[in-house]
Amino acid sequence: METKTRIILICSGKGGVGKTTLTANLGISLARQGVRTAVLDADFGLRNLDLLLGLENRIVYTAQEVLEESCRLDQALVKHKQEPNLSLLPAGNPRMLDWLKPDDMQRIVSMLTDKFDYVLIDCPAGVEDGFKNAVSASKEAIVVTNPEVSAVRDADRVIGLLNTHGIKPIQLVLNRVRPRMMASQEMLSIEDVTDILALPLLGIVLEDEQVIVSTNRGEPLTLTGSKSPAARCYSNIAKRMQGEEIPLIDPSKEGSGIRDKFRRLMQTKIF
Amino acid sequence: MQRKDSCLQTIILPVSRHSDWRESLKRQINECEPGLLELDCRDWSLSYKDFMNILTLLEKFHLKINLIRADIPETIVSASSLGLQASLNIKQPQCSTSSITEDIAKKKESEPLTFHQGTLRSGEHLEADGDILLFGDVNPGAKVSAGGDVLIWGRLLGIAHAGKRGDINSKIVALQLRPLQLRIANKVARGPQEKPEEGLAEEALLESGQIIIKPARINSLRTA
Ligand SMILES: Nc1ncnc2c1ncn2[C@@H]1O[C@H](COP(=O)(O)OP(=O)(O)OP(=O)(O)O)[C@@H](O)[C@H]1O
Ligand SMILES: [Mg+2]
Repeated sequence: METKTRIILICSGKGGVGKTTLTANLGISLARQGVRTAVLDADFGLRNLDLLLGLENRIVYTAQEVLEESCRLDQALVKHKQEPNLSLLPAGNPRMLDWLKPDDMQRIVSMLTDKFDYVLIDCPAGVEDGFKNAVSASKEAIVVTNPEVSAVRDADRVIGLLNTHGIKPIQLVLNRVRPRMMASQEMLSIEDVTDILALPLLGIVLEDEQVIVSTNRGEPLTLTGSKSPAARCYSNIAKRMQGEEIPLIDPSKEGSGIRDKFRRLMQTKIF
Repeated sequence: MQRKDSCLQTIILPVSRHSDWRESLKRQINECEPGLLELDCRDWSLSYKDFMNILTLLEKFHLKINLIRADIPETIVSASSLGLQASLNIKQPQCSTSSITEDIAKKKESEPLTFHQGTLRSGEHLEADGDILLFGDVNPGAKVSAGGDVLIWGRLLGIAHAGKRGDINSKIVALQLRPLQLRIANKVARGPQEKPEEGLAEEALLESGQIIIKPARINSLRTA
């Protein structure tokens, strides 16, 4: 039963904070580091991991057929063309939600553990059945949140539930950090968030327009070798997961616009 | 970790007015075999510094503490803060030596003190009929409500309700009092807007029908 496969739930409580984007980008980054990675879409209601990875048109079978035993696991797995170390197990149709049980989820995941080093589970928002099913099959978790009071509150609730399910370790990713808003204290600071949630910070991801562009193209940022701020953040997180020690990006030294860079240049010249 | 030892040794400190606990402890340690030990502090109010001294002393004799017992919560808190297992003695009224302990004992007998170790996270609710002593924070969105006092060895950022069945003498004490809302008996108050001073324990209680917040008295955690 005991395998070395790391089964990591990517969850948040609140919707739209960036779980699916993180799952897709970590999947690509980990695969690129040479580890066999499966991403599993547990969001049966609103699946879109396939879309973000640009794999939507290659799906033939889904987790549903695997569970019904009308196809084999390897028939349902969709291998990523450019990163063959990455495979997606697509979610079945939304009606699966009605009958899917924690046992089913555990069965799917245990099938994946033979073939992969990492299984990343993209969790649906909320704390209802979809979340419970996904938790029951996971060992570790990454909680994604934004520097906003409501997202932090929901993350806190989810962490409490993860604790009661014995999920360990639980790490934190703070997404959509805007350095300038943080500096002017219009946004919760990193300390404000970690102070409440009391979790080790796996990484921060900067707010980045390129994320939206890449989402629409179906090419995760990390796939294209982009040097954009968020791409760097995602690949740093993947490296930390693999045990590399990479210092956190200091938001006060980051700015997206040329104006920010210019301003920093000015400051260094003057002082 | 916690080996269940068949022959657990026990040291019981004398009642506080009779003699010095230090002398008595040293005397009793000399008679102990190396191994595990249960220490009953009776009604001594011991600080964590006292416990640090006790631990160094015990180490010299190769003794390890298995459990701390005490009559007063303050001592329990000190012991727990060092990671020691601690348990509150629930006294029978007839063996109490003063009227105060008698009062507490009576109260405790009907509604025991509830301990909770660990932070309450958003959506969690800790409830008890008696007093609650919590080691950890009460996060925003979490709630703690007690029939008696709410004592928080940590930060109160969520909601606390003391005296939920109408006991107007109940109070709320926390190392950092920054609640969203406070309730005592049937009174409700929003938390203060400004942050309190760091390192200043505060308590909330009812004074002429109003919830007021003030610096906690040293013995507030003693439920006196
Ligand atoms: N770092 C970022 N910078 C800019 N936009 C971002 C960033 N991260 C995510 N987004 C955008 O936020 C939106 C929501 O992201 P995503 O779908 O990954 O969230 P989710 O948590 O999976 O949502 P749901 O709960 O609905 O499944 C998307 O439009 C995405 O492009
Ligand atoms: Mg999603």
